[in-house]
Amino acid sequence: MTDFVQNCIDGLMFGSGYALLALGFTLVFGVMKRLNLSFGPSIMLGAYVGTWVYLNISDNTWLVALVTLIATITVGAYVERLCFRAIRRDATIASMVSSFAIWMQLEEIAMHLLPERTYPFPAFFTTTTLEFGPFYARSEHITMLLLTLALLILLHAFLFRTRLGLALRTVSDNPLASAYMGINGSNILFLAFALVSVLGGLAGFLILSADSQVTPFFGLWATFKGLIAMMLGGMGSLPGAILGGLLLGVVEANAFWYGGPVIRDLSAYLLLFVMLIVRPGGLIGQRIVAEQRAADERV
Amino acid sequence: MLKVENIVTRYGAIEALKGLSLDARHGEVTCLLGPNGAGKTTTMFSIAGILNPHSGSITLDGNDLTNQSAPSIVRKGIALVPENRLIFPEMSVTDNLYAGAYCRSRSERQAVDDDLAETFERFPRLKERRAQIGGTLSGGEQQMLAIGRALMARPKILMMDEPSLGLAPMVVEEIFSFIHQLNQEGVTILLVEQNAHMALKVAHKIYLLEQGKVTFNGSPEDMQQDEMIHRAYLGVGSS
Amino acid sequence: MFNEYVLTVISNIGMISLIALSAYLLLITGEISFGQQAFFGISAYAGAVASTLWGWPFWLALLFGSILAALAAGLVGVLTLRISGMYFSIATLAFAEMVRLSLYKLTYQIEVDGELIGPNGAEGFGEIRWIFDHDISVLEYTIMIYGVLLLVLIFLALIERSRLGMIFRMLGEDPLLSRTLGLDPVRYKVSAAVIAGFIAGLGGTLYAHSFTYIEPQIFNVMLGVHSLAYGLIGGLGTVLGPLIGVAIDIGFLESIRIFQGYRMIVFGGLVAVMLIFMPRGILDEDRIYRIKAVTRKWFNA
Repeated sequence: MTDFVQNCIDGLMFGSGYALLALGFTLVFGVMKRLNLSFGPSIMLGAYVGTWVYLNISDNTWLVALVTLIATITVGAYVERLCFRAIRRDATIASMVSSFAIWMQLEEIAMHLLPERTYPFPAFFTTTTLEFGPFYARSEHITMLLLTLALLILLHAFLFRTRLGLALRTVSDNPLASAYMGINGSNILFLAFALVSVLGGLAGFLILSADSQVTPFFGLWATFKGLIAMMLGGMGSLPGAILGGLLLGVVEANAFWYGGPVIRDLSAYLLLFVMLIVRPGGLIGQRIVAEQRAADERV
Repeated sequence: MLKVENIVTRYGAIEALKGLSLDARHGEVTCLLGPNGAGKTTTMFSIAGILNPHSGSITLDGNDLTNQSAPSIVRKGIALVPENRLIFPEMSVTDNLYAGAYCRSRSERQAVDDDLAETFERFPRLKERRAQIGGTLSGGEQQMLAIGRALMARPKILMMDEPSLGLAPMVVEEIFSFIHQLNQEGVTILLVEQNAHMALKVAHKIYLLEQGKVTFNGSPEDMQQDEMIHRAYLGVGSS
Repeated sequence: MFNEYVLTVISNIGMISLIALSAYLLLITGEISFGQQAFFGISAYAGAVASTLWGWPFWLALLFGSILAALAAGLVGVLTLRISGMYFSIATLAFAEMVRLSLYKLTYQIEVDGELIGPNGAEGFGEIRWIFDHDISVLEYTIMIYGVLLLVLIFLALIERSRLGMIFRMLGEDPLLSRTLGLDPVRYKVSAAVIAGFIAGLGGTLYAHSFTYIEPQIFNVMLGVHSLAYGLIGGLGTVLGPLIGVAIDIGFLESIRIFQGYRMIVFGGLVAVMLIFMPRGILDEDRIYRIKAVTRKWFNA
């Protein structure tokens, strides 16, 4: 029993990293109704640039963090222009496939930048292990969890209490109508992408520095984990992203403990597959499927 | 107030508006009447900046609006209530209204809040449902929301594209009596409609649009007296 | 005789074309599947087990692998009936990864000729020796591959001309309209899935025997995305479209030394650009229609 609870605690900690990634995915989907599959690789490329700076220029953690952020935003802008802005609004699947293709590109670019398998990444936090009763948790994971929750609150406040957040919501809700209100759609979308890139860069930096290393598999990993977490919680839902991430973390932690790494990953995909079949709207967004069906029936 | 002179608007190679001119005077309700495909919505879009006319000019109180972007046209004082309402289905009534006021500068925040309160006074039904999500409102309520939203921009002229579309007759009566009342309060309105009967009750000036051109303009009385037009648009035996 | 390297490239093109055609068929019906590699993999393992561990004749093993793949595809098709679009695509991805990960856990070894042979989890499945045991040359096997490919192309071309093909395309263009015409999408969606699974399966078994060694890592998402991309680049208007896509990637990019190490960058960029300017590929429905009109004029002149 202790094992199970400890696993759950570990899962929550780790899950907050997933939640951060999921927040990025869900924002893109919520605003643009599209899936950006280059999200993970963009973060990875950003992290690689940061690593390059870390190894060749300076080991100042703040500088590396800043460079990672800027690099992630730049790559994000590239992806936005090529895969999203250039493609017609209703060709959502085309954007998704395009972003998948660019993922291949980004991975290869990253590999040319830093050809080795693993690189050290600056550890932002000092590791202390906190104990409470028979359970324990690493301090950097707790920090990540707290930061994620804080980000959720900040994002929510931004979206629902500021003028800009209102504009963003209108563009995602009904872009034509928002044009009538005088809201500039492309600028807003670009802002959304920048916001998402910042989130991504932050997520990447936190996760990698908790791990103290970066590998070329990070891109794939980040994309899949973020995607699964988002879909578990419900596409387009901010609280869903958090819930999904935490759920994924807990399931994975237990699966790993009782079954090993392959079982862990398998459980993640199995969970996703079942969720998509049984409740595609995720934990939160059951409305989506009902709406799709209602729209079909109206015709 | 709003002067449209000889605009030609194209969809690719097709000329939808072939030199259209109209004049919407301050404080009046001007109505663009015509059958489907005549170019009524195209006219609205050309004025609102969603489409850019190929030639001709559009001026508002002397300000040139031709070929400007939609956002800047909204800022210059034109608000459009689109065909089919086009409210924000996933946002609350209050948020929809705030969205309408987006173009107003930050210094006007108090004024915007005051306008919001005033809108709720004007539309008590909207006030009741202010936290409700737009998509769950009835057709008539959505129309009121769309109008209220456009008014939040404190426009110089309010354009309405087929406000009666898709609404039950009783609701249409309500909407038009509301339009009349709005105009009495001093709002200048440019209306586009298929429903001639209702339009005649509120309009001061009518423009008849057929295949991209104005074929008649005058007051409702003029229209009633012209036999041919009367029969075509109002049917035999109505007065 | 023929340069062996060239023959290998050609045979690769043939086999990969099969999985590309599999993704293409689903694309036609309007569904994007990121998971055809699962059926490619299932058949690879199943077919190889049949020929290597159970001593079955090759064509029987091929059939066995492909039918198993088709059944699995049918299962996925039925399970995903209620969902479409992005949800469907992600579901196919999830399923494919589940299959791949399960293969890491698959251990089934038998003693054959004094050696332990069979799938062994992460260590893969080697010694798929059917070609060598039967003295089949590279050329002969390449011909076998293209024989299968030709049959598949003929089969698909026949479907395109038939009512079934028309229905498939209609499902892809306007699923709502199809419903109002009284077409039950269930039957057609599942049929498409099964046929596509079978075709991918054919490719899988052929692949296993050609490379003589397979491991789970081969059947990953990249393979799936590539299969999709081939149709998107080559064109969705004709069965030859995906083949062109495969030829461009494997025949051109892979083989030419300048692209060494930059293949993904070029290929990825190419796909992204194509999706902007030619979203239905080089030989899209429009172009095919025009080509057909022109050739019709020639024949009637």
